[in-house]
Amino acid sequence: MPNIEDIRNFSIIAHIDHGKSTIADRILELTETISERERRDQILDDMDLEREKGITIKSKAVRLLYKSDNGHHYIFNLIDTPGHVDFSYEVSRSLAACEGALLVIDAAQGVQAQTIANVEMALNNNLNIMLLINKIDLPTANPDRIIEEIKKIKGLENSPIFLTSAKDGTGIKEVLEAIVKYIPHPRGSKDKPLQALIFDSVYNSYQGSIVYLRIVNGTVKPGMKIQTMSNKRTYEVTEAGIFSPKRKKVDQLSVGDVGYLTAGFKDVSLTKVGDTITDANNPSEERLPGYKKVSPVVFCSMYPVENEDYQNLKYALEKLSLNDSSISYMAENSPALGFGFRCGFLGLLHMEIIQERLEREYQIQLIATTPSVVYRVHLKNKQVIEINNPSSLPEPNTIDFIEEPFIELTIVLPSQFLGGIMELVQDRRGVFKNLEYLDQDRARLVYNLPLNEIMFDFYDRVKSISKGYASMDYRIVDYQASPLTKVDLLVNQDIVDNLSFICHKDKAYERARKLVENLKNVIPRQMFDVPIQARINQKIIARSTVKALKKDVLAKCYGGDITRKRKLLEKQKAGKKRMKKVGRVEIPQEAFMSVLKI
Amino acid sequence: MDYLNLGLYIHIPFCYSKCPYCGFYSLANTDNIEKGNYVDAIKREAGIYSKEYPEILIESIYVGGGTPTTLNGHIISEIIQTCYQNFRIKKKIEITIESNPATFDNKKAEEIIGAGVNRLSIGAQSFDNRLLKKIGRIHDKQEIIKSYSIARSTGFRNINIDLMFGIPDQKIKQFKKTLEEVVKLHPEHISLYGLTIEEGTLFQKFASEGMLSIPSDDTAYNMYQEAIRFLSYWGYEQYEISNFCLPGKRCLHNQIYWKNRQYLGIGASSTSYIKKNRFKNISDLQQYINLLKNNILPIESKEILPEEEEMSETIILYLRMMEGIDKKDFLARFGTSLETAFGKQLKILKKQGLLQENESHYFLTRKGIVLSNQVFLEFLN
Repeated sequence: MPNIEDIRNFSIIAHIDHGKSTIADRILELTETISERERRDQILDDMDLEREKGITIKSKAVRLLYKSDNGHHYIFNLIDTPGHVDFSYEVSRSLAACEGALLVIDAAQGVQAQTIANVEMALNNNLNIMLLINKIDLPTANPDRIIEEIKKIKGLENSPIFLTSAKDGTGIKEVLEAIVKYIPHPRGSKDKPLQALIFDSVYNSYQGSIVYLRIVNGTVKPGMKIQTMSNKRTYEVTEAGIFSPKRKKVDQLSVGDVGYLTAGFKDVSLTKVGDTITDANNPSEERLPGYKKVSPVVFCSMYPVENEDYQNLKYALEKLSLNDSSISYMAENSPALGFGFRCGFLGLLHMEIIQERLEREYQIQLIATTPSVVYRVHLKNKQVIEINNPSSLPEPNTIDFIEEPFIELTIVLPSQFLGGIMELVQDRRGVFKNLEYLDQDRARLVYNLPLNEIMFDFYDRVKSISKGYASMDYRIVDYQASPLTKVDLLVNQDIVDNLSFICHKDKAYERARKLVENLKNVIPRQMFDVPIQARINQKIIARSTVKALKKDVLAKCYGGDITRKRKLLEKQKAGKKRMKKVGRVEIPQEAFMSVLKI
Repeated sequence: MDYLNLGLYIHIPFCYSKCPYCGFYSLANTDNIEKGNYVDAIKREAGIYSKEYPEILIESIYVGGGTPTTLNGHIISEIIQTCYQNFRIKKKIEITIESNPATFDNKKAEEIIGAGVNRLSIGAQSFDNRLLKKIGRIHDKQEIIKSYSIARSTGFRNINIDLMFGIPDQKIKQFKKTLEEVVKLHPEHISLYGLTIEEGTLFQKFASEGMLSIPSDDTAYNMYQEAIRFLSYWGYEQYEISNFCLPGKRCLHNQIYWKNRQYLGIGASSTSYIKKNRFKNISDLQQYINLLKNNILPIESKEILPEEEEMSETIILYLRMMEGIDKKDFLARFGTSLETAFGKQLKILKKQGLLQENESHYFLTRKGIVLSNQVFLEFLN
């Protein structure tokens, strides 16, 4: 059993693409945790999607054995954290399981929005931060400039700086040596009652939820009765182990250790990230700090394109939520789209990932409606209700006022693009908070604005205005009252509930007009004129018409053509079948996404 | 003996140059030796079928392409003779050949007529020289008129002229002018096709690059309506979506297709439909020739049509004709009535004003003609 003085627990944190996973790979190699033969780039990102998107979705942990220059062996527990704002709570809990963090910064790109968010989070968890200026092999690398930038960030003044290239291994050995010296070993007592922090969990169909934890005090071993402190449920530990990097059973986990345990948890909703596990027979008096229940922030409806896929979708959502307790879903029924689910997510990326996994891993073709935030509706009768679907907004005459979530948005960008970006953010109802210069030509801009405003084509606009150089990060700060209104869309006089949206009153006309135009272009001509109208309360505010189809005829059809012509018709018919019928009108899936593009 | 009544199609895959909109199999720059080998292969293919189906009775012959008139007159004559040598042929049969105005002269006309061909189809497409150039035709308006008059003076009594509308940059005024020119010639038959962008053609490439200014659907619709109005005024009856003729001059061969009856296709890329089998020859000249040298049928693909599919194709094809589908014929052919097979669809389409019925037939309404795809979609399985 290791000595607590020989343990170092740390995370690697970075802005996306700054080289976090590659650094982890090099560390794994240098500590000889895996052989060359086992090697596969970015070992820790094992989901296909993670590899593709270049981000880590789930936390991972691995135990490394490091032989220091002083001849002594140390145990390094490396915890890889999710790399996106949607998962910031999970990140904060992973960091809470550590004493130190390696902050990776791209030597060419410099400090980015997420870098700053990461620093703040690490400091909040009292971590010792080591700075890795990575990719110094790049011709565009400019470490001196980056060092200048870093010095301006509060809390990093005394952090040691290392120049690395994860690609060719430069500097990694030095980093490992420094971890021993610079990152403190865990503290805590073996003799105190068990306190273990859950920082992630994965579902396995044989063992149920496998909990990733950090022992803060005490010890845990198989056979022991434990309790999850948030809900006071008791379980018996069936297995305890470490990651090397595959799961490996051990006799016990003790103070300072990072490892896993199984105890017949049915699913991951019972082992919430941030919760504390204690000894059921000798419980700790207090929970570890920082536990909170995460609620979905963004909602959308998902319908199977083929109605018969409804059961499959239900099954897939059940499966996915076994492993991701942050997804919420509720059956709903839409006159236009049939049976589906209203689903809640931690953010837009989370939503996108789940949609992709449903389509890819479960082969379900989906229609996903426009995402919505959660509105707090204050009724005149003093009741407050939360709605996440514009179509469920109560009658306007019963509403006193509506509140919506606001975010603090940080954008780091070359100062030449400041004008364009500020214009964009102000147009999105942004309220200026702060502007500071990281160096001569890079700035950090902070705004408050409604979350709703970044759901529609915001990130793409930021990227295009800044030619790809700006990075952004946000966190939800509070709810504020806004003059909001609901706009309904009518196709051929029928309300299409999934196209309704809530927006600021001043923007309703413009958005309605654009949406009506978009719809006109995506709804194919039918056998009759189809009016498209946008309506607030009973008032039509925008209108357009899809003219009746006049001509749809195949010119030639002779002997040699029949098979081919039939195939053309079959293709046309298949296209028609994929559309959803609202009243007498066939609406293609793009229509439901076209709201996004306004 | 029960005869196997068939229409016979012979494909000649040669052209002087390839038109950029054409999706049929044909080759430019083929030399005489290859052409000779090809005609030999055609003869072998006819020979194989005559042995396989000794009960064949040919009801019509159609020599298409490509451009059959790129062949010498005596070779065309040989091809027709091959048919007579191998198959039983109905008396007073319609024999059509397609021609390009630039490949037609007195001598050829005489040789063709001498071979027994009695219907000539001239690929005019337009009478506007600028548009003709645009769609890659090698002939001009003068050559159309000249070849037409040669055909007449040599004795052709049944002439079709092919026209197109919806050509890139075509204006409705130009199109009306073309219609006027064509009725002046007074052909017995006019085929009028809306330009379609076919897969694998140059036009498809141009269109995908945004290089073609194809008239809008509304313009094309107006051209089509104008043609129907104008041609009917001049005595041309529209008897199929794209075909017009003077009384009694309907094309017999093409009606075989629209009645979903049986046909034998000979030559590279041609299709046959015999005894519920539809099969297609390979679209490769050399392979076609080589296989037949070894007396192997050059069939590339084959599908056996299940009854349901046959029913749906039958109604779709029949409805292309203005007189529509004969209720009794359908019942006799399938042992089930149209109403039993397609009751729901017929009802919907009638309600939509696309289909009409009288005592004996179901047929497309005027609106149904221009929206015929919408009608046909209903009948797919």
